[in-house]
Amino acid sequence: MFADPEIRRLAREAFVPVAGDDWYQRRRRDAEGVFYRGMSDQGPRGGAGGGTRQGIYCFTAGGRLLAYRNHWDPEVMRAEIAGALAKYRAMPERERVPATIEPRGEPDSRFHRAPPEGGAVLGVYTRVLDRGPDGRVRRCAELPSGVRGRSAARDHLWLTRDELAGLVVAPVPAIGARRAVPGPVAERIARFHLVDDTRGEPDHWTREQVRTCELALVTADVSAEQIRLVLDGRVLVATDAPAERAARGYDARLAGTLVYDRAAGRFTAIQIVALGEHWGEGRWSPGARPGRATLGVAIELLARPAPADLVPPQGARDPHDYFGQ
Amino acid sequence: MRPIPHPAPWRALILLVVLTATTAGDEPAPSAAGLADVPELLAVLRPAAEESTYLDIPWETDLWRARTRAAAEDKPILLWEMDGHPLGCT
Repeated sequence: MFADPEIRRLAREAFVPVAGDDWYQRRRRDAEGVFYRGMSDQGPRGGAGGGTRQGIYCFTAGGRLLAYRNHWDPEVMRAEIAGALAKYRAMPERERVPATIEPRGEPDSRFHRAPPEGGAVLGVYTRVLDRGPDGRVRRCAELPSGVRGRSAARDHLWLTRDELAGLVVAPVPAIGARRAVPGPVAERIARFHLVDDTRGEPDHWTREQVRTCELALVTADVSAEQIRLVLDGRVLVATDAPAERAARGYDARLAGTLVYDRAAGRFTAIQIVALGEHWGEGRWSPGARPGRATLGVAIELLARPAPADLVPPQGARDPHDYFGQ
Repeated sequence: MRPIPHPAPWRALILLVVLTATTAGDEPAPSAAGLADVPELLAVLRPAAEESTYLDIPWETDLWRARTRAAAEDKPILLWEMDGHPLGCT
């Protein structure tokens, strides 16, 4: 829908556009949650029984709903959004603009997430792949009928300050020295980020479903300025054992490079890729390719995260589980 | 006529164990080809420009900040609300 140029123009020029995760918003018991539910209750999707309220909402700063729709046809949504704008502009100013915006107060900590202080935000991109005539992996040009999810899926990986420090031990190991990626980091990558989320919210892997997780860092180069580490390994995640009989799984090899700036005391580059065969589909993500097919995952450090990059990882809904606490 | 002897069950078991020991750990690396060039694979995996047009829109991610701006700028709010953050999920 937001590929439509007119919808994008309206969103940029005539509205204040904001994006949110309904899973958090409908649950939080702070001022933001009260406002959101009060606004969305005016629409047809009242969230009966605590259910989803997802969709596109147009409303005033004071919370008066102008339009609600959840439709992927750009023509339908263009009309809906334009209608909301017309309605807004026809309102008297005192109804359009509240005199004040009430204080937001303390956020409900159960449903408020922020990147770890001093930590790192990494972009995660997952994509279904196939192979060209030369055998090299490539983006799928098209998918079989009934199969969805050709675009890159996005997520974020959060690492804490201590976890980043744990990737660079002191004294620096000798060139060629090999050591395991610290357990919590390896497990987080395996459970929450090596998963097919190309068609919707994925079912993340439980601890028990991580059948193999062998990720290692090798010291590749050391200078006065920087330390370069190479990552390699294998992860096998599967809903059942043996994996060959599992309903869903991913068997991937990983490779990557991490560059640490010794003077600045931080990583300047982390680039990891995973490549392997995946199969099956999750509860909320039907329409997978039949059988086993190639899936790739890229994980890379975002040096200057944009506002959209501060969205919490999908797996951080349970932060204790996500951070392995 | 002499009956055809059946192989002793223990011989079949030993054969099974030997075969299992031989093949375990020898699984071919699944799709190892392609990992040799991490930057090339990164370029394939990253979102394409045409998959990111929705990011032309300067999305707020803070509803209160959006309300404050909307009041100051006399604009309505357009909220894209999905299960799974629309900017951080699929």
